[in-house]
Amino acid sequence: MAEMQTLDLELGATSGTLPGTASRQRIESIALGTAAIVLLLLIWELAPHFLPIKAGTRLFFTVPSRIFATLWEMFSTGSIWAPLGVSAAAFAIGLALAIAAGLPLGILLGRSKTMNAMLDPFVTAFNATPRLVFLPLLMLWLGIGMWSKIAIVFLGAVFPLLINTHEGVRNADKVLINVVRSFGASEWDVARLVILPNSLPFIVVGVRLAIGRAILGVVVAEFFGAQDGLGVVMVRAASSFNVDIVFAGLIIFAGLSLIMTGLVRLLEERTSRWRPQRAANE
Amino acid sequence: MATQPSVLSGFIGRHRNAVLGGAAVALFFAAWQAIFLVVPFNPLFITKPSLIAAGLLDLVESGDLFHDLAVSAVPFFLGLFGAVVIGVPVGMVMGRRVRIGYALDPLMTVFYASPLVALAPLLVIFFGVGLPGKTIIVFSLAVFPFVFNACAGVRAVDHLLVNVVRSLGGRERDVYLKILLPSVLPYIIAGARIAVGRALIGVLVGEFFAASEGIGYAITRFADIFAVDRMFACILTVMVIAIALTEGIRWAERTAFPWRFGQ
Repeated sequence: MAEMQTLDLELGATSGTLPGTASRQRIESIALGTAAIVLLLLIWELAPHFLPIKAGTRLFFTVPSRIFATLWEMFSTGSIWAPLGVSAAAFAIGLALAIAAGLPLGILLGRSKTMNAMLDPFVTAFNATPRLVFLPLLMLWLGIGMWSKIAIVFLGAVFPLLINTHEGVRNADKVLINVVRSFGASEWDVARLVILPNSLPFIVVGVRLAIGRAILGVVVAEFFGAQDGLGVVMVRAASSFNVDIVFAGLIIFAGLSLIMTGLVRLLEERTSRWRPQRAANE
Repeated sequence: MATQPSVLSGFIGRHRNAVLGGAAVALFFAAWQAIFLVVPFNPLFITKPSLIAAGLLDLVESGDLFHDLAVSAVPFFLGLFGAVVIGVPVGMVMGRRVRIGYALDPLMTVFYASPLVALAPLLVIFFGVGLPGKTIIVFSLAVFPFVFNACAGVRAVDHLLVNVVRSLGGRERDVYLKILLPSVLPYIIAGARIAVGRALIGVLVGEFFAASEGIGYAITRFADIFAVDRMFACILTVMVIAIALTEGIRWAERTAFPWRFGQ
């Protein structure tokens, strides 16, 4: 998790030169990025006109214009809202449970060396294993439907949260903790005054990773064991060769994932903005 | 002179974390085995470690386990290999050529952020339920960590080094082979750790969906026939493999590039 975070930072850090150059670079990057996407869509759209496509392939071939038409139709007729709502509920409940369990556990593991040593094998094991492997088991236990979905979302989202919280708590400044302790603070005060503010940026990164995992969890859970939800709509469409709907669903999932991670990234910048300044004041 | 007990306590002191962790795992399995002395045992839904061990032994002896693992390993490694071969050069060019980076960055981000697993049903229709379908699912999930990490690695390279090579008459090829490739190596291995996890997801998705053999298929089949002990044996096998792969790569990172773990 920590590696992902540093890599992201390095990706974001483009060479900071003169302000004029920077804004021109920014415009250029946006223009080129958009151009590439538009070009890809154009090639895809025009490909059937230039390449001979066999009748068999045509059955599950589609072009962007048809996908967007389907997407528009799903939204304008409102047929999308019911399955999307089901998926969103599983996502939200699973993520909320993951936050409710991951944060306290992460703080506990960060504060207690013994607990950390004891639980570390389990955390490592579950984090390394694709949570998908438990899906058949969860379906056996919880049945096909909402709860096995929530359980998969929870299992996927809880570990990034736990690990990042743990990392943030461990990185809390020992001097600050000792100062607060010297003034007679209880363990609760230490957590509230030093550890929580210090680990907040880590927690927010954890939330961002957890959102990605949670969406993945919703998708796979709905693919294999659910009666309704956007994923179910997609699988049914795929098995009846309705490729447009599959791509439309993918776009919705990707869009939601990008929007939510983008919002959290804003929060990330907001929560870590004061850091260097405070360091300078000290 | 160290007497017997103090040697033991010295050992515990030195390997405190490992001892505590091992004890916790042992305690967990012991509690799992013991709880059915109190709680009624329903073999349709739950199993106990002794039965899992028996099931595992059974699967190993019949050779089914190794057969399924071997079947799953082929698309896993093929997909991962393809992801390295394609992902690393693309990422390096994206990092080196600023404009190509600008052009491809948003596209790659969209692909990386979207749950590509969602395309699995389509890929299965396109490429069939066998090896090609699974390999392509694995590839499409595993390629992006390599792209992004190779790109980040190239961007982090000291420009002075590049300039030195160019001043001494090195061509673009020399820059790539002599500077960029060696310096992105740690990033690629860090990316491999993420990619392995995603590749495992790819194999499982492919096999849950439509397959007639493989470890993922074995898990769903045992779930369908309520053979909980053998299902757990397969799940634990997957867990052990996943841990071995991720921790193995982590170990390789630490031994090959110790300066990246300065903490």
